[in-house]
Amino acid sequence: MRHKNRIVDHKTAFAKNYDVVIVGSGISGSIIAKELSKKGYDILILEAGPGKDLTLSGYEKYLNNFYSAVSKDNNAPYKRNPNAPMPRSVDVKKLESGKPNTDSYLVQNGPFISDFTYSRVVGGTTMHFESKTPRMLPEDFNILTRYGRGLDWPLKYEELMPYYRKAEFEMGVSGDVSSQTFSNEKAYEDGYVFPMQEMPPSYLDQCVAKKVNGTKINIAGEIRSLKIRTFPQGRNGIPNEDYKKFNNGELFRPVGAVSQHQAEEGERCQGNNNCTPICPVQAKYDARKTLAQALESGCVDILTRTVASRVVIDPVTQKVSAIVCKSYKDLDSKEYTSETITAKLFVLAANAVENARLMLASGLNSSSDLMGRNLMDHPYLLTWGLLPEIAGTTRGTICTSGISDIRNGDFRTEQAAFAVDIHNDGWGWATGSPTTNLEDIVDNKNKFGKDLRNELVHQISKQLLLANMVEMMPDPCNRITVNPKYVDQLGNPRPIVTMQIPEYTMKGIAYARQMSRQIFQRLGAEDYSVYGTDDYGYVKYKGEGYAIRGGNHLAGTHIMGTDATNSVVDAKQKSWDHSNLYLVGAGSMPTIGTSNTTLTLAALCFKSVDAILEDLKHLHSSKQISNQL
Amino acid sequence: MHLHPIKTVEDLQFYVATAIQLEHATIPPYLTAMYSIHPGTNKDAYDVMRVVAIEEMLHLTLAANLMNAIGGTPDLTQKGFVPSYPTYLPNGETDFEVGLGKFSLETIDTFLNIERPPLPTNSKKNNATSNLGLLKTQRTKKMLIPTFKSAEGDELHFYSIGEFYKAIGEGITKLTEELGEKNVFVGDPDKQITPEYYYSGGGEIIPIHNKKSALAAIRLISEQGEGHEGGIFDYEGELSHYYRFQQIKLGKYYHKGDEPNDPSGESMPIDWDAVYPIQSNPRIEDFENVLELKKAAIDFNLFYKNFLKQLTNSFNGKPDQLISAVGGMFRIKEMSYQLMRNPINEKEKTTGAPTFEIDLV
Repeated sequence: MRHKNRIVDHKTAFAKNYDVVIVGSGISGSIIAKELSKKGYDILILEAGPGKDLTLSGYEKYLNNFYSAVSKDNNAPYKRNPNAPMPRSVDVKKLESGKPNTDSYLVQNGPFISDFTYSRVVGGTTMHFESKTPRMLPEDFNILTRYGRGLDWPLKYEELMPYYRKAEFEMGVSGDVSSQTFSNEKAYEDGYVFPMQEMPPSYLDQCVAKKVNGTKINIAGEIRSLKIRTFPQGRNGIPNEDYKKFNNGELFRPVGAVSQHQAEEGERCQGNNNCTPICPVQAKYDARKTLAQALESGCVDILTRTVASRVVIDPVTQKVSAIVCKSYKDLDSKEYTSETITAKLFVLAANAVENARLMLASGLNSSSDLMGRNLMDHPYLLTWGLLPEIAGTTRGTICTSGISDIRNGDFRTEQAAFAVDIHNDGWGWATGSPTTNLEDIVDNKNKFGKDLRNELVHQISKQLLLANMVEMMPDPCNRITVNPKYVDQLGNPRPIVTMQIPEYTMKGIAYARQMSRQIFQRLGAEDYSVYGTDDYGYVKYKGEGYAIRGGNHLAGTHIMGTDATNSVVDAKQKSWDHSNLYLVGAGSMPTIGTSNTTLTLAALCFKSVDAILEDLKHLHSSKQISNQL
Repeated sequence: MHLHPIKTVEDLQFYVATAIQLEHATIPPYLTAMYSIHPGTNKDAYDVMRVVAIEEMLHLTLAANLMNAIGGTPDLTQKGFVPSYPTYLPNGETDFEVGLGKFSLETIDTFLNIERPPLPTNSKKNNATSNLGLLKTQRTKKMLIPTFKSAEGDELHFYSIGEFYKAIGEGITKLTEELGEKNVFVGDPDKQITPEYYYSGGGEIIPIHNKKSALAAIRLISEQGEGHEGGIFDYEGELSHYYRFQQIKLGKYYHKGDEPNDPSGESMPIDWDAVYPIQSNPRIEDFENVLELKKAAIDFNLFYKNFLKQLTNSFNGKPDQLISAVGGMFRIKEMSYQLMRNPINEKEKTTGAPTFEIDLV
């Protein structure tokens, strides 16, 4: 995707009158900017990151950072930035009793210590996400009514369906609709297909499927049969001929690498294994692809190295009158200038944690006092085993298939639903493999040369890691807060996380552990899963211990609802308290089911665009009237 | 054998076979120059060449579609399909040779020649004998495919690839008028490579079923190479190959609105020394004293031969083989690096390179 260079300097940005100011250039901000730019509105995006990544060479610097990094964590491609810090899993430590962890960006109160991360660079967290794009299930939208758990949404699945389609187009989803059969309700229009054909399942997937398909499990008295199916993914594959009828008769055209010059790259997945964090050829969707289209319109400017610091409210109208932002000189400099930007309408699209952090830092707890509360994520339980035969682990992309049969059912009255990924990158996430394998073979087994190579292949290509992604319901006690005691280099308050894994989720985790044992049995795999008490994510439940990992699917912090007393925003993601403010992203979601949040939040943003356009029309005509007066 | 103006469908097929050969003939030189660059250096120049090479693959596929559309059989496996470098281009341009060489100013000059736009009409006046873009030039070496012979017996050559395609376009127009469109486009539509099997951002694959789609494909090939109506951009707004390569020569990017030969964009840093000192136009016999190199060079040729076979299959009713063939290009890169990183002998500073002597294996 080729685009114009629209990175503006401060002088230009602060001299111009923008219709809309958007905080954050991730997927939410980029979708809204792109859609509004089609109508010719002038838009400014404030981006906290350095913004050197809209060129091919800038992106390749990220890749090289990743390749040369010792720790391959999700934010490894991005340089540490004390002016806009981001959480990194390598910084996470076990909680010492009686005092919060304060020595990295996230202040963690516990009792559960999560290693969740997000990225504060152009493109936001899509710059490290894996790009799975399952829809939520129709049942997830009224789970309180149905199963007595969580909260009902203020909108129905059917209302979101057309926006899901827009999101699937935008993210370029590859997948097989016919295998997405976990709901008892109509989840897709008749004949609907994704823009591109499903990603071919890895050889590992096929090895697992051979023995696991048809396995009967008993979940809260219900007997289910397991089936390995591919996931829909925001990754370029082969365009689907049948999608033409959903795309004005045209074959879907995959969006390639972001560049200011023609790049001819990224139009198709090549099967590299480091989808997370960063695709070497940009075949994986990231929000820069949407942003590039917004910039190409000529109506959208982006101001980088600029952190929104405070939201200013007009005491009379209760509207947002301005945002105070701090622009830093560069990554290594403490120098910054503070300025105030005005607009007709403001959109906070900085992610669930940062949106809440900014509002709370501005003293805006919302009239419901729900700002920052109901923090959700998908806790992950990893289980890993060694297969009896070579299964080609690490050949092909990081994850193509998994088990989704336990995403829905009456058991949800009792215990959390979950979905299982078959990880094609070996045990890395759990054990640090292959580095740990290499050290063991060299140091303990004294192998070198050809023997070393053979032993490595022998150990790694049999590895199977299952990542169990478990449902977590909203709880107002799980929350983001701020405290002037804890600030970053620019003086912005850091997020304080208070989180506990609810029993409902723990039941699901315990069940997932049992199911893995059954799967490993079927496969004849040796179960190597161990969870040490010294692990920062260690949680004990009913006599068994589990090491739980963060899922980076942060949500709920500015929850949507039916009125100003039970929520922060309405079903359009518009603030109940401030009529020209939208808080967008997964922070608005009342529940997250067992879906990776990106596709749903993208759909919600497309829905918000309709409302924002309506608001802008009114703002425009009222301005005309006041001009005439 | 001589090219002569297209009068029959057989003539047209012969021209299109030449086009397929022509499109392929540019790929080994481009790949050789690209892979001779030390990985990680000269990123901008590498990307420029990469985009051109990918578009040549697109052109090759379009030419194969055209061949299938007119009832011919694309064949990339016949003896002599891969020229013995250095060579003249198969369309008959004879004032320069195309060889396999490292990334250098001289190599870029050759690439500029390959992709050169037609001469402006006035400077061509004295030399051109017809409206086909043919030039009267003296041939010095045996040609891969003998060139055009005029009614008067003069040897004529196309000055540019675009003019060669123009002749094909005119042939198609003439034949469809004479024989009717249905009698020219008699090929099996299932053999067309469609966008599911091939796509790239710089122009989509066009399935060819009639005169209109055939001329659209020809236009795309010519303009991606040489620009639209003498401008530096093609009708899709992409910079043409000639001006892309010129950016490397001038060390500067073109911007929208620039005049030819005067780019106004940011500078393109070039390090002509960050290049493997590969031997130009290597032959297997050059590696006689280094058995590992010789073996690697033979392995490369075997692999490449198989690659051409896979392409041929995919152009003959098995389009899904195109995906694995393209996947095999990773191996071509890997094997090239293997050759280019190893010296030919201790004393000489030159290193190996793929020989592309496909007929020898």
